[in-house]
Amino acid sequence: MSHSFDDISAQLKGRHRKSARLKWISMGSLGLAGLFLVLFFADMLSKGLPAFQQAQIQVEIDYNEDAQRMGRAALEPVVSRLVSRTFERLIPVRMRDNPELLGTIENRWVLADSEVDQYLKGHRHDLSESLQATVDALVEQGRAELKFNTTFFTNGDSKMAEAAGILAAALGTVMTMLVTLVIAFPIGVMTALYLEEFAPDNRLTQLIEININNLAAIPSILFGLLGLAIFINFFGVPRSSPLVGGMTLALMTLPVIIIATRTALRSVPDSIRHAAFGVGCSRWQVVRDHVLPLAMPGIMTGSIIGLAQAMGETAPLIIVGMVAFIPDIGVSFTNAATVLPAQVFTWAGEPDRAFVEKTAGGILVLLAILIFLNASAVILRKKFERRW
Amino acid sequence: MAGNFGLPAESRSGSLAVVDIHRENPMQTNQLLALFGGAMLLLGLVAFFLGRAKAARVRATGTAMYAQPDQYAWFTVLATAGPALVVSAAGAFLMLLLGAEIPALYLLTASLVVAAAGLMVGMSQVRPNFHARQAIERVIRWILVGAAMISIFTTFGILFSIVFEALRFFQMHSFWEFITGTVWNPGASFLAAAGRGDEASSAAQFGSVPLFAGTFMITGIAMLVAIPIGLLSAIYMAEFAPSSVRTLAKPTLEVLAGIPTVVYGFFAAITVAPIIVDVAGFFGLDASFNNAVAPGLVMGIMIIPFISSLSDDVINSVPDSMRQGSLALGMTKGETIRDVVIPTALPGIISASLLAVSRALGETMIVVMAAGMRPNLTANPLEDMTTVTVRIVAALTGDLEFESAETLSAFALGLVLFTVTLSLNLVSVIMIRRFREKYRVNNL
Amino acid sequence: MNRILNSRTLKTTAIAAAVIGVVGVAQARDQIRIVGSSTVYPFASYVTEEFGAVTEYPTPVIESTGSGGGIRLFCNGVGEGTPDITNASRRIKVSELERCEENGVNDVTEVKIGSDGIVFAQSSTNEAMDLTLEKLFLAVAAQVPVDGELVDNPYANWSDIDSALPDREISIYGPPSTSGTRDAFEELAMEVPSEEMEAYGGEGYTDIRSDGVYIDAGENDNLIVQRLSEDTDAFGIFGYSFLVENPNTLIASSIEGIEPEAEAISAGDYPIARSLWFYVKNQHVDEVPPLYDYVDMFLSETMVGEGGYLMDLGLIPLPEAEREATRNKVQERTSLQLSDLQ
Repeated sequence: MSHSFDDISAQLKGRHRKSARLKWISMGSLGLAGLFLVLFFADMLSKGLPAFQQAQIQVEIDYNEDAQRMGRAALEPVVSRLVSRTFERLIPVRMRDNPELLGTIENRWVLADSEVDQYLKGHRHDLSESLQATVDALVEQGRAELKFNTTFFTNGDSKMAEAAGILAAALGTVMTMLVTLVIAFPIGVMTALYLEEFAPDNRLTQLIEININNLAAIPSILFGLLGLAIFINFFGVPRSSPLVGGMTLALMTLPVIIIATRTALRSVPDSIRHAAFGVGCSRWQVVRDHVLPLAMPGIMTGSIIGLAQAMGETAPLIIVGMVAFIPDIGVSFTNAATVLPAQVFTWAGEPDRAFVEKTAGGILVLLAILIFLNASAVILRKKFERRW
Repeated sequence: MAGNFGLPAESRSGSLAVVDIHRENPMQTNQLLALFGGAMLLLGLVAFFLGRAKAARVRATGTAMYAQPDQYAWFTVLATAGPALVVSAAGAFLMLLLGAEIPALYLLTASLVVAAAGLMVGMSQVRPNFHARQAIERVIRWILVGAAMISIFTTFGILFSIVFEALRFFQMHSFWEFITGTVWNPGASFLAAAGRGDEASSAAQFGSVPLFAGTFMITGIAMLVAIPIGLLSAIYMAEFAPSSVRTLAKPTLEVLAGIPTVVYGFFAAITVAPIIVDVAGFFGLDASFNNAVAPGLVMGIMIIPFISSLSDDVINSVPDSMRQGSLALGMTKGETIRDVVIPTALPGIISASLLAVSRALGETMIVVMAAGMRPNLTANPLEDMTTVTVRIVAALTGDLEFESAETLSAFALGLVLFTVTLSLNLVSVIMIRRFREKYRVNNL
Repeated sequence: MNRILNSRTLKTTAIAAAVIGVVGVAQARDQIRIVGSSTVYPFASYVTEEFGAVTEYPTPVIESTGSGGGIRLFCNGVGEGTPDITNASRRIKVSELERCEENGVNDVTEVKIGSDGIVFAQSSTNEAMDLTLEKLFLAVAAQVPVDGELVDNPYANWSDIDSALPDREISIYGPPSTSGTRDAFEELAMEVPSEEMEAYGGEGYTDIRSDGVYIDAGENDNLIVQRLSEDTDAFGIFGYSFLVENPNTLIASSIEGIEPEAEAISAGDYPIARSLWFYVKNQHVDEVPPLYDYVDMFLSETMVGEGGYLMDLGLIPLPEAEREATRNKVQERTSLQLSDLQ
């Protein structure tokens, strides 16, 4: 008999080995997914971090007569081809606004051309040999170096890579998100209140429920088609404006807020409702004064997550024209604007190679904002979550 | 630079009439809106205080009332503002819909008159035997119903906006040819839009099969990545992992779903595609830089958490009694998972996968940035191919007029996409509902 | 209770006031509105950025709507919601100008800003390949004449077209059918040679082959250039500006013996080149004060002149006399007449 016990235990060993193998394979899959995440962030950081530094050159600006017409005349000939055009073109403007500058000389650090920047960073560049030598000499004298890139955070878009910044797009995102929030939050919460607290269980309610689940799964680009056909072509909302972008995204965010709010409402125990009804509250009073305040943390968490989702969305915004070229820093609901992810998309399509790092830099900023939003949602939930 | 945008005031107002891009003059619209809002606010405040004062007066006489003074007050506000808002909204809508020119000033006056009438009616209702609280509740209920209807309107809005434009497209090109044609060549319709239509030499062809082939190829690759990794990760998290790993791993995986798709698109185009070309070259294969593998792979990564998260929930909701029974019969843990847990959870897992497929079909930015533009009917994933969503974006952002067949084809493609994703979602919902009913699980 | 109520009323009032305030702020600015060709778009957007930076006016809004779409919008009428300027990569047609006049747009100044060339280029690791329009056409057309009959393009290698050309696979990255560069390529490099071939019966033929030899590379020209340095067998079709931006990585083919160089394009010798224009609505001058400031800046020597900034972006300047003539025309706000086009 012992012989057959050996067989069985061998067999058993094999079965347990198989079981262990499943464990290792499944653990490996999770590890693989984690590895993707690490690689992705490493790649984005390595591409995007250089964007936060920008080459600057120390120049002597000679505010002479000629410079009133041609900014270039104010710069030493050696460096004039290395300085960003965005600085040079403002010299005449500045002299017009401050006539007392005429005849003075100023020494200051200014933005260098993006080719100089790319050269200093060791990327591909198109500087000629002689200009490379000039730059090397300037570096040697301490007159050219990479400095923290404030321009990136204070400028709008530009055709010149060295002056391109994300501020206009960031403001566009803020305006668009305001519109989204103002529309989606009340409607979403009211819909959820109706479905959870008021609606009779009839065909209409079921239809609304199924419909919301479907909306959550409709490809985002189709919301863009809706925005184009209905908001822009039918209602005449200005194309490319934060208004139309926000309205489109609001419809997309609606299901997320509704679903989160319903979950939050459902987690409020019935005893609270019973007690409130018991002291003579009407249905609306129960909801307004007791259920809603208790569900608020959950609702806020869900809304923040929905907003973060909307903030990263690009496809519907492309369709409603929010990929415009916006160099001005402006705050308006009806003028053409762009948003962060759309800015990333436009930069990714720029022919100038210096825009690759701008793109990745923009991505890092976008990711930082999204991580901040999601983290605050998690913290909010942790802090206010109540187990009944 | 920011200092340069200030404008002399007169040049601003002088040019407003022409430069605006609205249908109506926005300054006037804005002023009217402000006027309307201000008047409404004022009337509302008046209604509130008048209503409350009257109710308080009545109550001060010692008469018992059905409601509190502030409830009467709110009812008066509703009676004042509600009908007026409805009138102005209806007027504005009529103007848009029928193109009727109702002078905005008349509309404003009309709604203000209605508001005043509402105020009178509201005030007359402030009497002891009127159930102000119930009246408010009824109104609130209708407002909530209205909010809930918006999601329905959205679906119909999408459907109508797509269907109408798609019908215009199908008037130009046959539906059958669109569904079964294997050549997508809108070139000539573009020329017509560019104003050279008379010179174009051949008819445009809109056969969508190559676009769908590309879409399904990329979706297929994404699923090959996402389903095994997502499912195995879910199994690990649900059945093997200690709870500390689980609480860390689940939100970490969710990060993958939270990364904007435009970022994935950049990653696929700039980082992954060249790697694929190099790897293919190493094996002596010729890969295009717009190959289908790069967007497919990256899309798969993005979709992992969709599958893992839902599968994890489903596996967790398989009743423990089934595991206990299986272990009691001497099955190993692995066998229990393979032969009991997974088969039980299968409807939920399939449903999760269907949702993931529908998500992948509609994904836009990754393919716009990383997949090709060429409609290509091929089985080789290393070639460049285009997808439905890429063509929609291309048609609506290029140098085209809205009336051209290529622009309208975007809506026809959108219609098909809508139909396909909608059916996938419905099937998925039905399957998860079956599962839920069978095992009496409520948290799915 | 009263105090609570009052604070609530106050809150409501504040919110309503805020909403109205926001609506009040959102008003139009005196921005020039520009539509039109995507070929002119990069030049125009450069000038608008400069305009926004150095004048007190806001940056004009440009939409890329295509030449035909732009002219259509432009000719919709005068005033409210119609653009002030439309860019075009071809001259306005008689029929379009007639429509303009029907809609009351009867004072339009025509401005020619320069030319744009389309280059056929490859990675500079290769030898330059000299082509003729006909050989280029035979490489990209969907159907080509073989023994007098039209058949699906059978050429897989350049040497199949002409044994003098290298035995290299034909592989061409080019713009998608929605792009203005594609439009120009079809017009200049396909219609022109095919009209002279008997097999097409004197009509222009513009179908590009779709058997994988011509690869639709998307709007992202950056990727085309990058791809050419990786895929050294391939050629790319793109605007002259990309050749200028990447002098070290790309080498262009000469067409009919003429290299794509600024002088040759400007003089009209290089065959795949065209003139670029924009049209100004003079009736808007009073309502949009900055209109001609923008036009003047566009036409300044620092922009469109020899060595001007637009030249760096790939615009090929007009000969000096013609630039001067254009400036005079703008100075006098010369109105475009139908007879000018015929």
